[in-house]
Amino acid sequence: MNHSSNEKEPETIEPLRYISKTEVATIETELLRDYRFGQQQLIEIWGHACAIAITKAFPLSSLSKKQPTVLVVCGPEQNGSIGLVCARHLRMFEYEPTIFYPKRSPQSLHQDFTVQCEKMDIPFLSYLPTEVQLLNDAYNLVIDAILGPETDHKEVKEPYAGMLVTLKQVKIPIVSVDVPSGWDVDEPAKDGINPEVLISLTAPKKLFCGIQLLTNLTRYFG
Amino acid sequence: MLGVRALFGIGLLVTSRGGSVLTHTGACARIASNIYSKDLTHRQACTMANTIKYLGQEEAQHIDEELFNEYSFSVDQLMELAGLSCATAVTKGYPLQSLLKSPPRVLVICGPGNNGGDGLVCARHLRLFGYEPSVLYPKRPSKQLFLNLTTQCEKMDISFLTEMPEADVIDEVYNLVVDAIFGFSFKGAVREPFGDILSQLKKITVPIASVDIPSGWDVENGCPDGIQPDMLISLTAPKKAANHFKGRYHFLGGRFVPPALEQKYQLNLPQYPGTDCVYQLKCHCLCGWA
Repeated sequence: MNHSSNEKEPETIEPLRYISKTEVATIETELLRDYRFGQQQLIEIWGHACAIAITKAFPLSSLSKKQPTVLVVCGPEQNGSIGLVCARHLRMFEYEPTIFYPKRSPQSLHQDFTVQCEKMDIPFLSYLPTEVQLLNDAYNLVIDAILGPETDHKEVKEPYAGMLVTLKQVKIPIVSVDVPSGWDVDEPAKDGINPEVLISLTAPKKLFCGIQLLTNLTRYFG
Repeated sequence: MLGVRALFGIGLLVTSRGGSVLTHTGACARIASNIYSKDLTHRQACTMANTIKYLGQEEAQHIDEELFNEYSFSVDQLMELAGLSCATAVTKGYPLQSLLKSPPRVLVICGPGNNGGDGLVCARHLRLFGYEPSVLYPKRPSKQLFLNLTTQCEKMDISFLTEMPEADVIDEVYNLVVDAIFGFSFKGAVREPFGDILSQLKKITVPIASVDIPSGWDVENGCPDGIQPDMLISLTAPKKAANHFKGRYHFLGGRFVPPALEQKYQLNLPQYPGTDCVYQLKCHCLCGWA
């Protein structure tokens, strides 16, 4: 696995800067407050970008199973909503996403994203099996949109702790949205899930190297 | 394993593996696999057998309402995707390296409604794509959405003009003009300052890329002595006015239409290539086929 921050692209590109948890919060506050981006707007941009990144890492033609199935696991907060938008765009891109969204956000903003997915005929699972082989057999990959940089990953509550235990064992690739769930933003997790692909939003977080850094999305924000 | 996937697809609880579960969900397996496979074949058949539907004004308005009311999309969500499509179409028709003038300046003229909002989003993405847009936004609605979109542009160092330049100045300074003045809700007379603006646009020689409807045109019947854009970016689905479009580039954008909505209105949308948010429609030959 490459630690791409030290790779020098020809001339113009400076090495990537990895940001800390505090910087994440500051940047996001500034995007909303000073740059007047709407929250739904940002989530739409991020979710769309995630879907595109996934098509680059796992093109339809590269998927080994007969159907281009993808499991999208969504947490209760913003990271989960990004997962919902990502699922919707994957559907537009001819993938077959299935969503597992055990704890739905009460905020209407996030509820809209759920309706949009339902109206696209994207199935929602009622629970995540603990039998890992079932997941390995049914899906080509898992999108981890459970916990984002705003959550305290040391205090992971149920049902997420149990889900992470299951995900640690899957053999199919995991794509994590922004932060591998269960990892601290600033430090690696020694026994956490091991995603194959990480999609950093806005800027990469200070994370354990050894993960393929797929997409730097700073271009959306200048 | 079809049975297992179907199980997940309809969200049944897994009680045990093996024959009993599969039998129980046997019927459901067929339904679940049909959710996805039917849609793809349907669309393939449609593009082969039928042409894309061109919408009337009322139909376009109904579809819009349904997207917001039934499908729970927000205006800013869809506007973001629409604006991105417009910017992407511009990069395909007028790539940076093909522009004659340096720096790569583009004039984006934004009207008083949602078409103007699409233009603001387009300008922002053009900036990210390396162009140098300037925005003319003479009549700004007081809604928070438009105030926010304006701020987003300003914070990207996109300059806002105070008045419409004369045609010869536009020709000298800009590589093209994005017309985001009036959209599919346009009806009746053109109010100032847009009358003057459209008069200037009729005189320029640099290309015009119109967002959704060439501004000033009747949404269904076109306008023989109106502006004649070089590019049209139809959003969601083309409107009937596009039948009168004679420019070089007709793109379809706004890749967000849920399959159920597409089927309900029989839009016969084409298959967008890969993850592209635009699809280039063949321009009308005399037979009128898209």
